[in-house]
Amino acid sequence: MIEMNPTIGSTVALRKAELDLLLADLRSNGYLTVGPHQQDESILYQEIEGLQDLPRGFMSEQGPASYRLIQTGRERYFDFIPAAQSWKQFLFPPCHLLYSAHKETPGEQIQEHAADTREIKAGKWSVKENDSPAPRYALVGVRACELAAISVQDKVFLRPDYYDPIYRARREELFILAVNCLHPNATCFCVSMGTGPRHQGGFDLCLTELDDLFLVEVGSELGRSFLAHRNFYLPSAFIQTAANQAIGMAASRMGRSLDTSDLPGLLIENLNTERWNQVAKRCLSCANCTQVCPTCFCWDAADQTDVLGKHTRRERLWDSCFNPNYSYVVGGNTRPNIRSRYRQWLTHKLGQWKAQFGVLGCVGCGRCITWCPVGIDLTEEVAAIRQEVKA
Amino acid sequence: MNQTDEVALELQQIPWFQSLDPGDVRKFAEISSLRTFKAGEVFFREGDKQDFNYIVLSGRVALDMFVPHHGKVRFYTCEPGDSFGWSSVTPVVHTRTAGAVGVLDGRVIATDTVKLQALCDQDHDIGYHFMRWMTNVIASRLMNTRLQLLDMFAEPPETKADD
Amino acid sequence: MTTNLIEMAPYYAGSTERLLLPTWAEVVKITPEAEGVSTFALRFIDPEVQKHYRWLPGQFNMLYVPGYGEAAISMSSDVESSNGLVLHTIRHAGSVTRAASRLKIGDVVGLRGPFGSAWPLKEMEGMDVVIACGGIGLPPLRGALYSIIREREKYGKITLLYGARTPKDLLYPNEYDDWVKAGIEVQSTVDRGDETWDGRVGVVPMLFYHVRVDPHKSIVIACGPEIMMRFVIYESLARRIPAEHIFLSLERNMKCGQGFCGHCQMGPYFICKDGPIFPFNKLGPYINVEEY
Repeated sequence: MIEMNPTIGSTVALRKAELDLLLADLRSNGYLTVGPHQQDESILYQEIEGLQDLPRGFMSEQGPASYRLIQTGRERYFDFIPAAQSWKQFLFPPCHLLYSAHKETPGEQIQEHAADTREIKAGKWSVKENDSPAPRYALVGVRACELAAISVQDKVFLRPDYYDPIYRARREELFILAVNCLHPNATCFCVSMGTGPRHQGGFDLCLTELDDLFLVEVGSELGRSFLAHRNFYLPSAFIQTAANQAIGMAASRMGRSLDTSDLPGLLIENLNTERWNQVAKRCLSCANCTQVCPTCFCWDAADQTDVLGKHTRRERLWDSCFNPNYSYVVGGNTRPNIRSRYRQWLTHKLGQWKAQFGVLGCVGCGRCITWCPVGIDLTEEVAAIRQEVKA
Repeated sequence: MNQTDEVALELQQIPWFQSLDPGDVRKFAEISSLRTFKAGEVFFREGDKQDFNYIVLSGRVALDMFVPHHGKVRFYTCEPGDSFGWSSVTPVVHTRTAGAVGVLDGRVIATDTVKLQALCDQDHDIGYHFMRWMTNVIASRLMNTRLQLLDMFAEPPETKADD
Repeated sequence: MTTNLIEMAPYYAGSTERLLLPTWAEVVKITPEAEGVSTFALRFIDPEVQKHYRWLPGQFNMLYVPGYGEAAISMSSDVESSNGLVLHTIRHAGSVTRAASRLKIGDVVGLRGPFGSAWPLKEMEGMDVVIACGGIGLPPLRGALYSIIREREKYGKITLLYGARTPKDLLYPNEYDDWVKAGIEVQSTVDRGDETWDGRVGVVPMLFYHVRVDPHKSIVIACGPEIMMRFVIYESLARRIPAEHIFLSLERNMKCGQGFCGHCQMGPYFICKDGPIFPFNKLGPYINVEEY
């Protein structure tokens, strides 16, 4: 072990096998390590134990309505660009039990107290609130756009007046092992949104991958404390330059761009342009974009009740503004067609989000373009609206 | 004071008539009369041929129509300042399309619309003034009717999304 | 118009940790008001919560009927007038509110709240106020009416313009005399009447023609079907009342009550958190865009 204390902000080098040991260290400290795993011709984020679970030797190729993995045969773990899943499923679970309730009938046996619940008597109802502890996640391989998305969701779910307890419990304990992107795909436009490809803080440790080693930047005391136990060494100036060059090249090879100079006004002030009618003809209102988007936050809470009406579970579930009855109230639906719903999504994401949270809602990850079954590209839509308006 | 003077005096309290010059107000008063009415008193019924336009001075008059299976439905009430019976002024309709019945005791000015027609034909200034007034009355009645048509308090249907 | 709930409502049924979990209350009284409309008086099961729970007129709770779901319902009184009991006048129209119609005294429901902005009682002091409402729009205003009556000398001329579809649908008719005695001018109307009705027949906005309004010192507060409110706005603007003195209570699909779930958004606003009560000058650009 080198007698050296890496300081916050410094960069050291690690042989790749050391990452395995770092992950094991995290796990033995109670973290649930989750990261990319190659499966179903895609990359999913799930529990991983070490390097062997990571997608070794893959790059990705993306376009509207298309995602492909390509095998490179190289010993590299992070050359792909993430697929449909984002880290939001861990901080903002797609389905979360709030409580279950059981209506007692006379003469019935009172049930045993279940683990991880808080019991409350409410008249004839016996309510068990979900009291299970939040997992301590260590996210492995977080890209700059994804970290930017987490910080956008922080603004949504952690407000000074109210916070979402489910999100906060998971966010507080989060360990972020970030990775700088070196091979952007055709749908990437993080540079336009000012979110990448290089990480700018907010992580615990940040990796830049080279052929034989990882450069590791220390982002926090927590990151430093885990790194301190590993066998790291000082990288040569040559290696640091090579890494910087690789990141610089990545920044210049973005697949797409989005001009944000006239946002949010361009969209908010043009709610009746013809373009909305045209995109509505193609959009299926399938809600894929909102599911894959790492900043979308809409949710619903619904009761699942048995046929006799004696037992119910109330769950919080992801929802989408594309859902036909998203805006339904008794007496009508304020967005009854695809045109109004698509318009809401885009004018919110690249428009009203700014007034609500101080930043635009898009981080330039491109997932909505890749995973739209009909390949609607919001960079193209914005450009088309701009052209229509200026004409 | 004779009937005409009394009517002229009442007309002068009505904002719309305050922009007419007194001579014209008098001409209007000459073809009108004052009437008191009691609650329940019928001015006219649907289908009647009756050529009077009324201005409510006090009390309340309800306009109604008979709807099969619903009975007599009151669809509008006229308050002081309101006018009713204007269908006798518009050229198309020949008989009353609704009935008018007193609801709260009061007084009205009743104007003979045959004579009013002649007066307007003869004196276009009065005619213009009167038609502007009528346009306003009908416009506000139309706005009211539109909102009633939309039936905004009704039980909403179980509407879901189109697509 | 403040959106800081902590400042406005000193107590909240549960901490922010319990934001998504209902606090349980018992139905202590059910009063049928009109066809399909009843008022439920609720008392929290936990006496500590019941002792401290407060709200401002115009705010709402998310009322939970176990097994069915939640509905956003305004409180229909102010704290003092109902002795701390939480009153909700509910029209039984959707699946949750229809389930509520089957509740009996002693049944338990869940409440989350109070949420939302309140009627601008402070701004109304020293002003004439026109309260314009229709149908089920009166209950959210009744709390404000009681607050005004309790400190009547603080306010100028108060006129209530209220209408419903038919005479049978008018809510709280046995209270109108008390309101008149307390110095409120009450003008009611119905959309259609029958031979036994000798009150007004005509739509609510028409009632403006029977009110003297001084545009320099009048505030309009309105609640009812959005079409009715649109015309109330027209009539108010036609009488030169400034847009920032016309307040509306909007309704959208409110679910979480605190601006997290996204459903109630209109433009940049979360109706549940930034509203539901807004001054018209804030709504101008959005309220007339079709299907926005």
